[in-house]
Amino acid sequence: MYIHQYSCISPQQTFDNIDLVSLHESVDNKLTAREPVYKDIPRNILRRMGKAVRMGIGAAMPVFLKQPVLNGIIIGTANGGMEDCIKFLNQVIDYDEGLLTPGNFVQSTPNAIAAQMGLMHKNKGYNITHVHRGLAFENALLDALMITRENAGGFFLLGGVEEISTYNFNIDLLDGCFKQETISNKALYSANTPGTIAGEGAAMFLVSGSPRDAVAVMKGVQTLHSTNEPEIKSIVQQFIENHLPPGERVDLLITGENGDSRILKYYHSVESLFDTHTTIARFKHLCGDYATASSIALWLACSRLPLPPHMIKRRGRQTNCRNIAIYNNFRGSQHSVMLVGLL
Amino acid sequence: MSRIFITGVGMISCIGNSVEENRAALIAGQTGITQLSLFPTKYSGLRPCGEIKIETGALKAKLNAQEKGVTRSSLLGLHAFREAVEDAGLSLEQVGSFDTALIGASTVGGMCLTDELYRDANEKGQGSEYLSSYDCASVDLYLQQRYQMKGIINTINTACSSSANAIMYGARLLRNGYAGRVIAGGTDSLAKFTINGFNALHILSPEQCAPFDKNRQGLNLGEAAAFVVMEKEEDIMEGRKVYAALSGCGNSNDAFHGSSLSEEGDGPYLCMRQALNEAGLGPSDISFINAHGTATENNDLVESRAMIRLFKKPPPFVSTKASTGHTLGAAGGVEAIFSILSLFHQEIYPALHFSHPIEETGLMPSTQYKKTALQHVMSNSFGFGGNCSSLVFSAVHP
Repeated sequence: MYIHQYSCISPQQTFDNIDLVSLHESVDNKLTAREPVYKDIPRNILRRMGKAVRMGIGAAMPVFLKQPVLNGIIIGTANGGMEDCIKFLNQVIDYDEGLLTPGNFVQSTPNAIAAQMGLMHKNKGYNITHVHRGLAFENALLDALMITRENAGGFFLLGGVEEISTYNFNIDLLDGCFKQETISNKALYSANTPGTIAGEGAAMFLVSGSPRDAVAVMKGVQTLHSTNEPEIKSIVQQFIENHLPPGERVDLLITGENGDSRILKYYHSVESLFDTHTTIARFKHLCGDYATASSIALWLACSRLPLPPHMIKRRGRQTNCRNIAIYNNFRGSQHSVMLVGLL
Repeated sequence: MSRIFITGVGMISCIGNSVEENRAALIAGQTGITQLSLFPTKYSGLRPCGEIKIETGALKAKLNAQEKGVTRSSLLGLHAFREAVEDAGLSLEQVGSFDTALIGASTVGGMCLTDELYRDANEKGQGSEYLSSYDCASVDLYLQQRYQMKGIINTINTACSSSANAIMYGARLLRNGYAGRVIAGGTDSLAKFTINGFNALHILSPEQCAPFDKNRQGLNLGEAAAFVVMEKEEDIMEGRKVYAALSGCGNSNDAFHGSSLSEEGDGPYLCMRQALNEAGLGPSDISFINAHGTATENNDLVESRAMIRLFKKPPPFVSTKASTGHTLGAAGGVEAIFSILSLFHQEIYPALHFSHPIEETGLMPSTQYKKTALQHVMSNSFGFGGNCSSLVFSAVHP
């Protein structure tokens, strides 16, 4: 599968006037997205959109501009419009199942992002939403890998979206996912305490089975549910061996290290697979942690932006970055590795 | 291209706790739509539903599922999953192996616990045992953990077509070599969230629903779980049971409106046509359709128009939602199994509560149980957001 276009709305300046060097800081352990003005979305429609839908549609605009006719839309999002969802739920309980307006209910379904894209762009092609929590984007990516093989000439939109809602932040905080103490994202990796910081964003890709005008080739993705360190390490190793072209090496490893001391061991273990050739970089201090954050890592890989020092964990000897591996894990039990080749 | 065979089925719905019980109820023309007696809501007595009459606690005991944080959705999922796996004769080792994928689907997930979710989302303090059980993925993550599954695990949510898409995705995993066997389907349980949501849209019927009837008043919600086991023809050892082949799948977006279908039903038409194309069949090859048929004003009219547009004279069809209610994310799986049973037993189940056709289309569902020769059966699932999917199953003659 080839990637032709990539676009991203995140808590950093990634959509327009891209600047990864200056780091926007988290507030109360949340990194909220820097949303553009969305000049291409009609005002009346924009007003009714929840944040996840808005970010998803907004981030997908450059893809639709480049390729207005798409064969399908494939979205990964664990929760979709969670804010609308709980707003409706709150009405159900607060008004004791009284007379309700259905607006939030219709907007709340996770498939509303892909559906709204289909609606706005009159796209009647393949349309699907993968919601498998920390592997929602990876499953969407696997879908895209298959569909670009099945439809040789077809172009597809692939994306990952998540929003911070007041409510899922509360639920995940109670569940111990976020740090108890308030920290800055600039100190994410030195905190050495349990939990991470919350994040959100949307990353969108134009993909096809054709290398023409492509920026990158997706060599594969592998997922695993496990808490067994040696097993995870060996799966990642096998995957890299099976997907790396002979004689080539992984030049850059981007990991989803998120400052949670409880799951650092998995990152250490995967890092140990790569020698001093490989540069190791981290990205969760840019976007916070959320179920589809790995989509931002893929965007970073495609962007070829020079990595600012705050992203570098270990500078490798590599001089020409061609093969990029991305290893992520969500809450210690959902693991993924992807391999991207820059063209 | 390899043929994909269905080698195991499992389901629980308001008309039965097993596939056999469901079939017996369909043959007998029974409905499971009743006034609510277990699920607490202000609408009990006002909006009949397809409620499974087993309390959550009893399900936990029956399934020996005493882990913390297990929701009714997960329990129903486990119930159907276990039956499908046993029916296919899969060992625990096979279920857990790297080449067995689980593709589930849900729209409600753990949100069936609406009151608990309300407290956990809004209040500080301890939090309930369900903090990591509310999302749609929680059902499949529970099954993954319980069976220590190592293969690809995924959850799909395309509203009411979710589990049809799970089955389609599973077939593609097999064809693309990402799995050697796939367990695919979906789960949803009743929730205040959905009862109030559909009620606010004014599409819940105060009576037992009457799909394709001129005087239909809307849908009845139901709860169910359904899973099928799928394998490639060449991987199936001689002597194993094969129910049917999955010969074609279609997925298309109606691109019209968030919660209703377009006048001409482009999404329904396109997904049916695509499923036929993939199966290498023409409209006249379809012997029977298990329609989406929610009994809403909009769906049944548009689905009828789309069927006429594609088939000119549509083959016999029925909506089994008059028996089970609309089980949302599980509906595609439930109705895939009904289609498979129709093929395996060469029989058609009767439409319930139908008396007068919609004037514009004049289409009449088949209202009698009958034994009849069936070669290809189509199963339709359409969801909010215009997410339309259609599956074609074919008889496999030994």
